[in-house]
Amino acid sequence: MMPDVELLVPPGAQYVGLARLVVTAAARQAGMTNDRLEDLKIAVSEATANAIQAHQRTGDDGPVQLQFGPTGNGHFGVTIADAGLPPEGSAPGAVGDRVEGGLSLTLIRGLADVVDVAGGSGTSVHMRFIVGGSPARRVVEDP
Amino acid sequence: MELTLNHRKEGDRTVLEVGGEVDVYTAPKLREKLVELVGEGHYQIIVDMTKVEFLDSTGLGVLVGGLKRVRSHDGSLSLVCNQERILKIFRITGLTKVFPIHDSLDEALQDTE
Repeated sequence: MMPDVELLVPPGAQYVGLARLVVTAAARQAGMTNDRLEDLKIAVSEATANAIQAHQRTGDDGPVQLQFGPTGNGHFGVTIADAGLPPEGSAPGAVGDRVEGGLSLTLIRGLADVVDVAGGSGTSVHMRFIVGGSPARRVVEDP
Repeated sequence: MELTLNHRKEGDRTVLEVGGEVDVYTAPKLREKLVELVGEGHYQIIVDMTKVEFLDSTGLGVLVGGLKRVRSHDGSLSLVCNQERILKIFRITGLTKVFPIHDSLDEALQDTE
Protein backbone atom coordinates (compact mmCIF):
# COMPACT_ATOMS: atom_id res chain seq x y z
CA MET A 1 0.00 0.00 0.00
CA MET A 2 1.21 3.46 -0.89
CA PRO A 3 1.70 5.97 1.92
CA ASP A 4 -0.73 8.88 2.00
CA VAL A 5 0.04 12.23 0.44
CA GLU A 6 0.09 15.16 2.84
CA LEU A 7 -0.99 18.66 1.97
CA LEU A 8 -0.66 21.65 4.27
CA VAL A 9 -3.12 24.40 3.42
CA PRO A 10 -2.84 27.99 4.75
CA PRO A 11 -6.00 29.06 6.61
CA GLY A 12 -7.48 31.27 3.88
CA ALA A 13 -10.72 30.72 1.95
CA GLN A 14 -8.86 31.29 -1.33
CA TYR A 15 -7.01 27.97 -0.85
CA VAL A 16 -10.10 25.76 -0.61
CA GLY A 17 -10.36 25.54 -4.40
CA LEU A 18 -6.75 24.45 -4.72
CA ALA A 19 -7.17 21.81 -1.99
CA ARG A 20 -10.17 20.25 -3.72
CA LEU A 21 -8.36 20.24 -7.07
CA VAL A 22 -5.32 18.44 -5.64
CA VAL A 23 -7.33 15.79 -3.79
CA THR A 24 -9.62 15.25 -6.79
CA ALA A 25 -6.59 14.80 -9.07
CA ALA A 26 -5.15 12.17 -6.71
CA ALA A 27 -8.47 10.30 -6.60
CA ARG A 28 -8.78 10.40 -10.39
CA GLN A 29 -5.30 8.91 -10.62
CA ALA A 30 -6.45 6.19 -8.19
CA GLY A 31 -9.21 5.28 -10.67
CA MET A 32 -12.20 7.04 -9.17
CA THR A 33 -15.13 7.48 -11.56
CA ASN A 34 -16.51 10.91 -12.50
CA ASP A 35 -19.69 10.70 -10.41
CA ARG A 36 -17.73 9.87 -7.31
CA LEU A 37 -15.16 12.56 -8.04
CA GLU A 38 -17.99 15.09 -7.86
CA ASP A 39 -19.02 13.75 -4.44
CA LEU A 40 -15.42 13.79 -3.23
CA LYS A 41 -14.85 17.32 -4.52
CA ILE A 42 -17.77 18.73 -2.54
CA ALA A 43 -17.06 16.77 0.65
CA VAL A 44 -13.36 17.77 0.64
CA SER A 45 -14.29 21.36 -0.04
CA GLU A 46 -16.74 21.41 2.87
CA ALA A 47 -14.35 19.80 5.36
CA THR A 48 -11.42 21.99 4.27
CA ALA A 49 -13.53 25.15 4.53
CA ASN A 50 -14.69 24.12 8.02
CA ALA A 51 -11.10 23.46 9.11
CA ILE A 52 -9.91 26.80 7.73
CA GLN A 53 -12.76 28.62 9.46
CA ALA A 54 -11.86 26.87 12.73
CA HIS A 55 -8.31 28.28 12.45
CA GLN A 56 -9.63 31.73 11.58
CA ARG A 57 -11.95 31.70 14.61
CA THR A 58 -9.08 30.69 16.85
CA GLY A 59 -6.64 33.16 15.29
CA ASP A 60 -4.37 30.25 14.35
CA ASP A 61 -2.10 31.13 11.39
CA GLY A 62 -0.93 27.55 11.03
CA PRO A 63 -2.00 25.37 8.10
CA VAL A 64 -4.75 22.79 8.15
CA GLN A 65 -3.61 19.32 7.24
CA LEU A 66 -5.01 17.05 4.53
CA GLN A 67 -3.89 13.45 4.18
CA PHE A 68 -5.23 11.36 1.37
CA GLY A 69 -4.69 8.29 -0.73
CA PRO A 70 -6.07 4.88 -1.67
CA THR A 71 -6.71 2.80 1.44
CA GLY A 72 -6.04 -0.55 -0.17
CA ASN A 73 -9.57 -1.98 0.09
CA GLY A 74 -11.10 -0.19 -2.85
CA HIS A 75 -11.56 3.02 -0.93
CA PHE A 76 -9.98 6.43 -1.23
CA GLY A 77 -9.47 8.05 2.18
CA VAL A 78 -9.14 11.70 3.11
CA THR A 79 -8.41 13.05 6.59
CA ILE A 80 -8.70 16.78 7.20
CA ALA A 81 -7.41 18.01 10.53
CA ASP A 82 -7.45 21.41 12.18
CA ALA A 83 -6.25 22.74 15.52
CA GLY A 84 -9.05 25.25 15.95
CA LEU A 85 -12.26 25.66 17.89
CA PRO A 86 -15.54 24.03 16.82
CA PRO A 87 -18.14 26.40 15.30
CA GLU A 88 -20.17 28.60 17.61
CA GLY A 89 -23.32 27.19 16.06
CA SER A 90 -22.62 23.89 17.78
CA ALA A 91 -22.76 25.52 21.21
CA PRO A 92 -26.13 25.42 22.94
CA GLY A 93 -27.99 28.70 22.73
CA ALA A 94 -26.01 29.97 19.77
CA VAL A 95 -27.97 32.34 17.59
CA GLY A 96 -27.60 33.67 14.08
CA ASP A 97 -29.05 33.12 10.66
CA ARG A 98 -26.05 31.33 9.24
CA VAL A 99 -27.19 27.91 8.19
CA GLU A 100 -24.04 26.77 6.41
CA GLY A 101 -22.51 24.94 9.36
CA GLY A 102 -25.31 22.41 9.62
CA LEU A 103 -25.65 22.06 5.85
CA SER A 104 -21.94 21.38 5.55
CA LEU A 105 -21.94 18.32 7.78
CA THR A 106 -25.17 17.10 6.18
CA LEU A 107 -23.44 17.24 2.80
CA ILE A 108 -20.29 15.49 4.02
CA ARG A 109 -22.36 12.70 5.57
CA GLY A 110 -24.54 12.46 2.50
CA LEU A 111 -21.69 12.26 0.00
CA ALA A 112 -18.95 10.17 1.62
CA ASP A 113 -19.37 6.45 2.15
CA VAL A 114 -17.80 6.51 5.61
CA VAL A 115 -17.36 9.55 7.86
CA ASP A 116 -15.62 9.72 11.24
CA VAL A 117 -15.38 12.98 13.11
CA ALA A 118 -12.95 13.08 16.03
CA GLY A 119 -12.60 15.95 18.47
CA GLY A 120 -9.75 16.82 20.79
CA SER A 121 -7.51 19.86 20.64
CA GLY A 122 -8.98 20.41 17.16
CA THR A 123 -11.25 18.52 14.82
CA SER A 124 -10.30 15.71 12.49
CA VAL A 125 -12.68 14.54 9.79
CA HIS A 126 -11.95 11.22 8.12
CA MET A 127 -13.90 10.32 4.99
CA ARG A 128 -13.77 7.33 2.71
CA PHE A 129 -15.17 6.91 -0.77
CA ILE A 130 -15.58 3.69 -2.72
CA VAL A 131 -13.35 4.25 -5.74
CA GLY A 132 -15.36 2.30 -8.28
CA GLY A 133 -18.75 2.22 -6.63
CA SER A 134 -21.90 4.16 -7.29
CA PRO A 135 -22.87 6.82 -4.75
CA ALA A 136 -26.07 4.92 -4.01
CA ARG A 137 -24.18 1.95 -2.62
CA ARG A 138 -23.38 2.74 0.94
CA VAL A 139 -21.04 0.97 3.29
CA VAL A 140 -22.93 0.76 6.55
CA GLU A 141 -20.66 1.17 9.52
CA ASP A 142 -21.78 1.64 13.06
CA PRO A 143 -19.93 4.33 14.95
CA MET B 1 -12.58 29.41 -12.07
CA GLU B 2 -14.10 32.79 -11.34
CA LEU B 3 -17.64 33.46 -10.27
CA THR B 4 -19.66 35.41 -12.83
CA LEU B 5 -22.85 37.32 -12.00
CA ASN B 6 -25.12 39.03 -14.54
CA HIS B 7 -28.66 40.22 -14.04
CA ARG B 8 -31.41 41.47 -16.33
CA LYS B 9 -35.13 42.17 -16.16
CA GLU B 10 -37.63 39.80 -17.77
CA GLY B 11 -40.99 41.49 -17.36
CA ASP B 12 -41.59 41.83 -13.63
CA ARG B 13 -38.90 39.26 -12.84
CA THR B 14 -35.18 39.70 -12.37
CA VAL B 15 -32.98 36.94 -13.72
CA LEU B 16 -29.61 36.58 -12.01
CA GLU B 17 -27.29 34.41 -14.09
CA VAL B 18 -24.62 32.74 -11.99
CA GLY B 19 -21.63 31.00 -13.57
CA GLY B 20 -18.45 29.30 -12.36
CA GLU B 21 -17.70 28.17 -8.83
CA VAL B 22 -19.73 29.23 -5.81
CA ASP B 23 -17.70 28.26 -2.78
CA VAL B 24 -16.59 29.63 0.57
CA TYR B 25 -14.28 32.08 -1.23
CA THR B 26 -16.67 33.39 -3.90
CA ALA B 27 -20.06 33.09 -2.15
CA PRO B 28 -19.71 36.51 -0.42
CA LYS B 29 -19.88 38.10 -3.90
CA LEU B 30 -23.16 36.31 -4.58
CA ARG B 31 -24.45 37.43 -1.17
CA GLU B 32 -23.53 41.06 -1.96
CA LYS B 33 -25.25 40.84 -5.33
CA LEU B 34 -28.49 39.50 -3.83
CA VAL B 35 -28.45 42.13 -1.08
CA GLU B 36 -27.87 44.82 -3.72
CA LEU B 37 -30.71 43.56 -5.95
CA VAL B 38 -33.20 43.40 -3.07
CA GLY B 39 -32.03 46.83 -1.93
CA GLU B 40 -32.83 48.17 -5.40
CA GLY B 41 -36.33 46.73 -5.21
CA HIS B 42 -35.90 43.47 -7.15
CA TYR B 43 -38.20 41.14 -5.20
CA GLN B 44 -39.10 38.55 -7.87
CA ILE B 45 -35.78 36.87 -8.49
CA ILE B 46 -34.90 33.87 -10.63
CA VAL B 47 -31.38 32.59 -10.04
CA ASP B 48 -30.23 30.83 -13.21
CA MET B 49 -27.63 28.27 -12.15
CA THR B 50 -27.28 26.56 -15.52
CA LYS B 51 -23.62 27.63 -15.78
CA VAL B 52 -22.63 26.86 -12.19
CA GLU B 53 -19.72 24.42 -12.11
CA PHE B 54 -19.46 23.97 -8.38
CA LEU B 55 -21.69 24.79 -5.41
CA ASP B 56 -20.98 24.21 -1.73
CA SER B 57 -22.89 24.78 1.51
CA THR B 58 -21.80 28.41 1.70
CA GLY B 59 -23.52 28.98 -1.64
CA LEU B 60 -26.63 27.18 -0.38
CA GLY B 61 -26.61 29.38 2.72
CA VAL B 62 -26.40 32.52 0.58
CA LEU B 63 -29.38 31.37 -1.51
CA VAL B 64 -31.40 30.68 1.65
CA GLY B 65 -30.44 34.17 2.88
CA GLY B 66 -31.62 35.63 -0.44
CA LEU B 67 -34.91 33.78 -0.14
CA LYS B 68 -35.47 35.20 3.35
CA ARG B 69 -34.73 38.70 2.07
CA VAL B 70 -37.19 38.63 -0.83
CA ARG B 71 -39.85 36.97 1.32
CA SER B 72 -39.68 39.84 3.79
CA HIS B 73 -40.90 41.94 0.82
CA ASP B 74 -43.51 39.34 -0.21
CA GLY B 75 -41.23 38.41 -3.09
CA SER B 76 -40.02 35.12 -4.46
CA LEU B 77 -36.75 33.43 -5.32
CA SER B 78 -36.72 30.45 -7.64
CA LEU B 79 -33.88 28.54 -9.22
CA VAL B 80 -33.07 27.21 -12.67
CA CYS B 81 -30.92 24.11 -12.48
CA ASN B 82 -30.71 21.09 -14.77
CA GLN B 83 -27.40 19.60 -13.64
CA GLU B 84 -27.67 16.41 -11.66
CA ARG B 85 -24.52 17.10 -9.61
CA ILE B 86 -25.94 20.42 -8.38
CA LEU B 87 -29.49 19.10 -7.87
CA LYS B 88 -28.04 16.34 -5.71
CA ILE B 89 -26.73 18.94 -3.25
CA PHE B 90 -30.20 20.45 -2.91
CA ARG B 91 -31.71 17.00 -2.39
CA ILE B 92 -29.23 15.88 0.28
CA THR B 93 -29.77 19.07 2.28
CA GLY B 94 -33.57 18.98 1.87
CA LEU B 95 -33.58 22.33 0.09
CA THR B 96 -35.58 21.00 -2.86
CA LYS B 97 -38.56 21.56 -0.53
CA VAL B 98 -37.53 25.16 0.13
CA PHE B 99 -36.83 26.46 -3.38
CA PRO B 100 -38.95 26.12 -6.51
CA ILE B 101 -36.43 24.53 -8.91
CA HIS B 102 -37.02 24.60 -12.65
CA ASP B 103 -35.34 22.75 -15.53
CA SER B 104 -35.18 25.79 -17.76
CA LEU B 105 -35.51 29.56 -17.62
CA ASP B 106 -38.62 29.39 -19.81
CA GLU B 107 -40.28 27.11 -17.29
CA ALA B 108 -39.30 29.42 -14.43
CA LEU B 109 -40.69 32.45 -16.26
CA GLN B 110 -43.97 30.65 -16.95
CA ASP B 111 -44.40 29.74 -13.29
CA THR B 112 -46.70 32.42 -11.93
CA GLU B 113 -46.45 31.06 -8.36
